[in-house]
Amino acid sequence: MEQFLQAIDTQTIIFTLTAVLLPLLAFVLNITMRGRWDKISGWVSTVAILLSCILSGFVFARVWNGHPVHQQLLWFTIGNTQLYAGILLNNLSVLMLLLVSVIALPVHIYSTAYMKDDEHYTRYFAFLSFFCFSMLALVVVDNLFLFYISWELVGFSSYLLIGFWFKRHKAIMANKKAFIMNRIGDMGLLIAIMVLFTQYHTFDITQIFADNGLISRSVMKNGLWVSPTGHLPAIWQYIACGGVFLAVAAKSAQFPLHTWLPDAMEGPTSVSALIHAATMVAAGVFLLGRVYPMFNGTELTILAIIGCFTAFMAATIALTQNDLKRILAYSTISQLGYMVMAMGIGAYASSLFHLVTHSFFKALLFLVAGIVIHQMRHINDDNGLGIDPQDIQHMGGLRKKLPFTFIAAIIGGLALVGLPLTSGYLSKDSILIHAFEWADGKGPLFKLIPVFALLTTWLTAFYVARLIVKVFFGELRLLKNTPGIKLHVSDGSWAYKLPLVLLAAGCLFPLFSANPIEFTRSWLFKGFSPAGGFGAESSAYALLPVLVNSLSLLVIYWAWLIYAKQKAGSLLQRGFLYRLSFNAWYFDEIYNNGIIKPVLALGRFTFWFDRIIINGSVNSLARTGILVSKLSSWFDRNIIDGFLNLLVAIVRAIGNFARKFQNGRVQYYLFSMLVIILSLFILKILV
Amino acid sequence: MISLTGYMVVSAGLFCIGLYMIVSKHNAIQILIGIELMLNAAILNLVAFGRYDRFNNGGQMFALYAIVLAAATTAVALAIILNVYRQYKTIDPGKIDELKD
Repeated sequence: MEQFLQAIDTQTIIFTLTAVLLPLLAFVLNITMRGRWDKISGWVSTVAILLSCILSGFVFARVWNGHPVHQQLLWFTIGNTQLYAGILLNNLSVLMLLLVSVIALPVHIYSTAYMKDDEHYTRYFAFLSFFCFSMLALVVVDNLFLFYISWELVGFSSYLLIGFWFKRHKAIMANKKAFIMNRIGDMGLLIAIMVLFTQYHTFDITQIFADNGLISRSVMKNGLWVSPTGHLPAIWQYIACGGVFLAVAAKSAQFPLHTWLPDAMEGPTSVSALIHAATMVAAGVFLLGRVYPMFNGTELTILAIIGCFTAFMAATIALTQNDLKRILAYSTISQLGYMVMAMGIGAYASSLFHLVTHSFFKALLFLVAGIVIHQMRHINDDNGLGIDPQDIQHMGGLRKKLPFTFIAAIIGGLALVGLPLTSGYLSKDSILIHAFEWADGKGPLFKLIPVFALLTTWLTAFYVARLIVKVFFGELRLLKNTPGIKLHVSDGSWAYKLPLVLLAAGCLFPLFSANPIEFTRSWLFKGFSPAGGFGAESSAYALLPVLVNSLSLLVIYWAWLIYAKQKAGSLLQRGFLYRLSFNAWYFDEIYNNGIIKPVLALGRFTFWFDRIIINGSVNSLARTGILVSKLSSWFDRNIIDGFLNLLVAIVRAIGNFARKFQNGRVQYYLFSMLVIILSLFILKILV
Repeated sequence: MISLTGYMVVSAGLFCIGLYMIVSKHNAIQILIGIELMLNAAILNLVAFGRYDRFNNGGQMFALYAIVLAAATTAVALAIILNVYRQYKTIDPGKIDELKD
């Protein structure tokens, strides 16, 4: 029996490995075969992800609610530290494994049509496969070291895909911004991992974070953080948590590192659907799920506050944006804020539940946006209008032109608002109810969190209604402004429709629960809740969803009145609050003026300092050296050499004088002898 | 009676003429003549001072001896001049200066 189980486990691991490595294979094939396989490269990636998806399904069926599978190999040894590489499959990782591959599959199919005319078709699919590989690896690895590697790879592939259209200046700026913001988070994660390693001497996730793992046996005592493997000052625990929080904030676009996500919409829309809505941005929440036990009460409360603030802020910004994709991006930030808040209030299961449902409906909405933008671009190109195809102010009335897309958008939108019969209803209401439960028995200030979460729900209802009404209802404003343009608009081929069908199916309740009203019956929720845990029957807030949804419906009706019937619309277009929302709470301006400009100024100053002061001093030193050497050279040449030359000249003069006497003429010798003798005599006479 | 001074003056004159010839002439033979003149000035002195030695006639004897010696020296000197001429094709002592530095 034991052996049988082990064989099954090994098979599961092999399935998982294959599922993870298939996209990598597709990436390698696409990169090496570029230029030859251009036609079929999309299908290479799609087939790879399809197989990954099937294998993930098998793995999921085996492991979900069963015993966790964990196998590892010795990777390498440094000193006494042995580093293992392995795979950890528990409920969380198999769920994410399945989710990523299931969302990636329709996006791949959609991309084969959406990117068909792009000149870098092969490169696109190579990157997309690379991303899938990184993301799948991220969710199944069993130690923090490999986790960090995958985390970086995910960020890197996201960077590549945001800047996919590298000839656009805005895309380059956006991917630079995303990269820098993510680096801040990566730094946090690295610091957290180093602190954890120092404390626990292992990278293994199971050993550290398991139910009776090292974290749960660590206590704070007298300002020390004591664990079975050693102790550190308490501050390091806060630093580790702060690092993890930074990582989450950067990857999942939480305040204060959220501003990269709206700019990341410069990438292809299909990429936005997969990476910047459904999977990668959820990696932060997934990280929270992995390291959940390390947070204590205060830190969780901070998480909840940050998440709640992000959710509310992003929702208010989404109210006034005009760019179709930016609205969805802010909505994503808002929903991610919900998930982080849910983690903070201890609603672990609800948070992951919302992660899964959100992936489906947000991917669906992005694919819908992709179709709409695609068609608008067609109209734009056919008629040479030169408009922004993403601006919803030009749209309207597309309900009749794109009926299929319209239905998908309605389903996705309702799920995002969280109306009954959708998956969003189940997950969002579970978060709201948990938030109220959590705030019970705490101070009045804690009540603000559920209240703001509730407000955010209605804001969500409003902006979703505004989006759908502006895009699909009324008349096509473009046609009104420039009559006589030609329209060839359709939902597109099956490669557009099939992904919408698949994802729309995932937005409805039957996938998650047989009971459309009570989230506690959902298999997903049960999978993460301790046995005999939270039950809606016991909750005092069982009727909360009724209130929320009836008000949501009212809000939607109000939005309909404003945008479809053009009543009371102009009231909202003015005032400080409108400007605040339209300019995204001025975060970009604040960062520009508060951080980027000072940093650039510092850079310029140090450049100036370097050039003028440091180079200047070096140069003046050099000049002084040259001067001194010139001086000494002059001294050498004129004084020292001159002295020697003078000696030489004297000697030569003496020599020349003396040699005059040695002229070899006998008579001269005689004469000189005569002169000398005579002078001697004369001297003798005179003296 | 010619005084001793007269002889001495003639002798000094002869000596100076000889010395001048030796120093100034460009011909070895003329130099040789200058040497002879100086020698004869000395001989004249010997003869003039010979009056203080009437018994032995030492002055006259030395003079004769010197004349014979001078003749021999002249022969040797002429031979040297002949050889110098063969060697250098000149007898101007000013041009024979190969020994200078």
